[in-house]
Amino acid sequence: MTEETLEGWAPEIGRGITLEEVIERAFDYRGNVTVVKTDGTELEGYLFNRERDAAEPFVQMFDRAGDGPYDIRYADIRSIRFTGRDTAAGTSYAAWLRAKESKKPASGA
Amino acid sequence: MSVPLSQMWAVASYVLKQRLRGTTRYPLVLMLEPLFRCNLACAGCGKIQYPAQILKKHLSVEQCMAAVDECGAPMVSIPGGEPLMYPEIGRLVTELVARKKYVYLCTNALLLKEKLEAGLFEPSKYLSFSVHMDGLREEHDEAVCRDGVFTEAVEGIREALRRGFRVTTNTTLFDGANPLRMREFFDAMMDLGVEGMMISPGYSYSKAPDQEHFLRRQRAHELFRTMLANPKRRWKFNQSPLFLQFLMGKQDFECTPWGNPTYNMFGWQRPCYLLQEGYAPTFRELIETTKWENYGRRSGNDKCRDCMVHCGYEPTAVNHTFSSWRGFRDTVVATVTGRN
Repeated sequence: MTEETLEGWAPEIGRGITLEEVIERAFDYRGNVTVVKTDGTELEGYLFNRERDAAEPFVQMFDRAGDGPYDIRYADIRSIRFTGRDTAAGTSYAAWLRAKESKKPASGA
Repeated sequence: MSVPLSQMWAVASYVLKQRLRGTTRYPLVLMLEPLFRCNLACAGCGKIQYPAQILKKHLSVEQCMAAVDECGAPMVSIPGGEPLMYPEIGRLVTELVARKKYVYLCTNALLLKEKLEAGLFEPSKYLSFSVHMDGLREEHDEAVCRDGVFTEAVEGIREALRRGFRVTTNTTLFDGANPLRMREFFDAMMDLGVEGMMISPGYSYSKAPDQEHFLRRQRAHELFRTMLANPKRRWKFNQSPLFLQFLMGKQDFECTPWGNPTYNMFGWQRPCYLLQEGYAPTFRELIETTKWENYGRRSGNDKCRDCMVHCGYEPTAVNHTFSSWRGFRDTVVATVTGRN
């Protein structure tokens, strides 16, 4: 199964997708994201959790330096950009098998 | 079954105490992940795909011990990442042993010889190195996506055994596994002198690169039935015989997702070791606020449908042993006769 990566995605909230939906995608994303806050400031890092059932829903992140966790309320988020490399994409088992096969000497030589 | 009597007694008395107290959801094994960094990148693993700053981070020993105390499980499994890359692994193990926790240090063993020679660990009945071995050389090197790992792991096992450590193996099986080769593998591990083996079907992590080789339930039953038919007396499995019967389709168990709770730098993972649907800040919150009814085979959750992994079903098997005379009898018979 191959899954399309969200790397580079910069959705516009409200244009067919809600903030909550984008947060769910960011939570599922294995790369850094940039959270743009309503006050215009940005935080880039790994979004590892969200509490959607909390009285005031929030996300939790470690920044690019690994500091944190930082809590950001949903209400304070304007948008999220998928700025970091998708670490779950890339080298596949099938690719490893192909590389292994290619290393074997050709038969009948 | 090769679990030492003292460990069996510790687990049995813990489970009975929980039952007498009327605790319905209690942990059996804490899955403690001090780091996600690893020196391998196996195709079936969904644990290490993180940005660099996360892979560089790790828990402190104090954070680990706070989780151990909060959880209270009698056994602690240290997976990862590769725990031998954790800079404070020696101190962590010393602290756990001092608390009389039965520790399974799950390692690929690439660094085992080096760490043993450095004098990082002392042999103890509380400490087992649980070495990742997915089969004989060809199968294992293929599973870990690197040639030569099997040979290095065997060297690590030999060194640990020579120094008097408890050593077990843990094996994850995927679609296409050859039952006859696995039987040869069991022989080879017993020849090496390991105390016991743990086997489990793999889980289809959504983030694992290899999605096509995970076992579906029916195929898993067939594989384990063939593999474990007429088991040799010398094969020792370091797990509940009822779990092995479950793998063979002889027991119909439901998952116990809270049985092996997971703690890592993100917190207490909901709902289990395999699924990442969020994190709770405390163990109590994990137990009390996770919507457990949404998980397990009978919940209808697609992610649980084909899962037969030990972290969900071994706690069920252990609980079954102590919840009825039939469960207890089945366990004793399987243990004494060696028949699954």
